[in-house]
Amino acid sequence: MSFDPALHPYLAVIVLGFLPSEVWRWLSVVIAHKIDEQSELFRLVRCIATALLVGVVLKIVATPPRELAAVPLLARGGAFAFAATAFFAFRRSVFAAIFAGEAAIVFAAWWWG
Amino acid sequence: MFAPDERRWFFAGARTALTGPAFYVALSLMSTGALARAADLPPEAAMLATALIWAGPGQVLFFGALAAKTAPAAIAFAVSLSSVRLLPMCLSVLPMLRAEKTRRTTLLLAAHFIAVTVWTESLRRLPDMAKERRLPFFFGFALTCVGLTTLTSGLGYWLTAALPAPLAGGLMTLSPFYFLAATARAARDGSDWIAIGAGLALAPLTQAFVGGGFDLLVLAVVGGGGAWLASFYARRVVA
Repeated sequence: MSFDPALHPYLAVIVLGFLPSEVWRWLSVVIAHKIDEQSELFRLVRCIATALLVGVVLKIVATPPRELAAVPLLARGGAFAFAATAFFAFRRSVFAAIFAGEAAIVFAAWWWG
Repeated sequence: MFAPDERRWFFAGARTALTGPAFYVALSLMSTGALARAADLPPEAAMLATALIWAGPGQVLFFGALAAKTAPAAIAFAVSLSSVRLLPMCLSVLPMLRAEKTRRTTLLLAAHFIAVTVWTESLRRLPDMAKERRLPFFFGFALTCVGLTTLTSGLGYWLTAALPAPLAGGLMTLSPFYFLAATARAARDGSDWIAIGAGLALAPLTQAFVGGGFDLLVLAVVGGGGAWLASFYARRVVA
C-alpha cells in the first residue's frame, strides 16, 4: 500500500482504526438475533466476556505505561489490592475503588519516580 | 427520534452516565490526545478516533503503531485482533436491547457504542429495566459517554504533556481500576463471580505460557467456559 497515514490522518483513523474494529460489532448484530436473553448460550457469552475483560485489565497492569515503569510490579499489584479492599469496604462502591487505587498509584509513582 | 416517554428514559441514561462513568472514561481516554501528538497527528484525529473506534485498547494500538511507523496493513490487523473481544461483549448486551420490532439498523448503531464502559453498565442496569425503556436509556448513556470523551481526547493533546509524571501515570491507570470495579459491580450471580475469579487466576498463567497473542483467547474460552459450566451444574443441583 502506498498510503502515508501521516498525510491523511482522518482517512487513516477510518480505514486502519474504525473499520478493522467495527467489523466485530457488525458481526455481532448478525449473530445476536439468534440469541435469546434467557438462554444458556447468553449466559455462556456473558461469562466469556467477563473473563476476557479481567484478562485485558491484568494485561494492562502487567505492562505499565512509561510514567509507571519505575514502580515495582508488587506495588502496582498492591494498589489493586487496596482498591479491591475499598470496593468491598464501601459496599461495592466503584468510586471508592477508583479513589483508593488512584491515590495508591499516584503515591507509588511519586515515591519511586 | 424518540416519543416523550422514551425521551425521559434517554435523559435518565444521560444522567446515570454523569454520576460517574462518563467522567471515568473521559479522563482515562484523555491520553489518546497525547498519543495522537506523539504520532504527529492533529488533535482532531484523536477526537475522531474516540468517536469512531471508541474502545481504548484499539485506540492505543492504533496511535502507538502509527508513531512506530508500522505498515498500514499491520496496523489494521493489530487493531482488528484487539477488537475481537467486542464480539462477546456485544453479544451479551444486544439480546437485552432487542425487542419484537427493533430494526437491524438500530442494533447496528447500538453495537457501535459497546466498549467496556457501556458494556459493564448495561450488564449492571439493563436486566432490571422494562424492555421498552432499555434502548432509550442505553442511547442516552452511551451518547453522553462518547460525547464527553470526544471532547477530552482533544483536550488531552495539550493537557497530558503538561501534567507531572505521577499524575499522568494515575490517569493511565484510571481505566483498569474503573473497568475491574465496574465489572465486579455488575456481577449478578455466582457465574459472574466465578468468571471474574477465573480471569484473575488464569491471566498470569496464560500470559506466561500461551504465546503468539492467543493468551486472551485461551483465557476467555477456558475461564469463561469453565465459569458457565460450574454455574450450569450448580443450577442443576439446586433445581
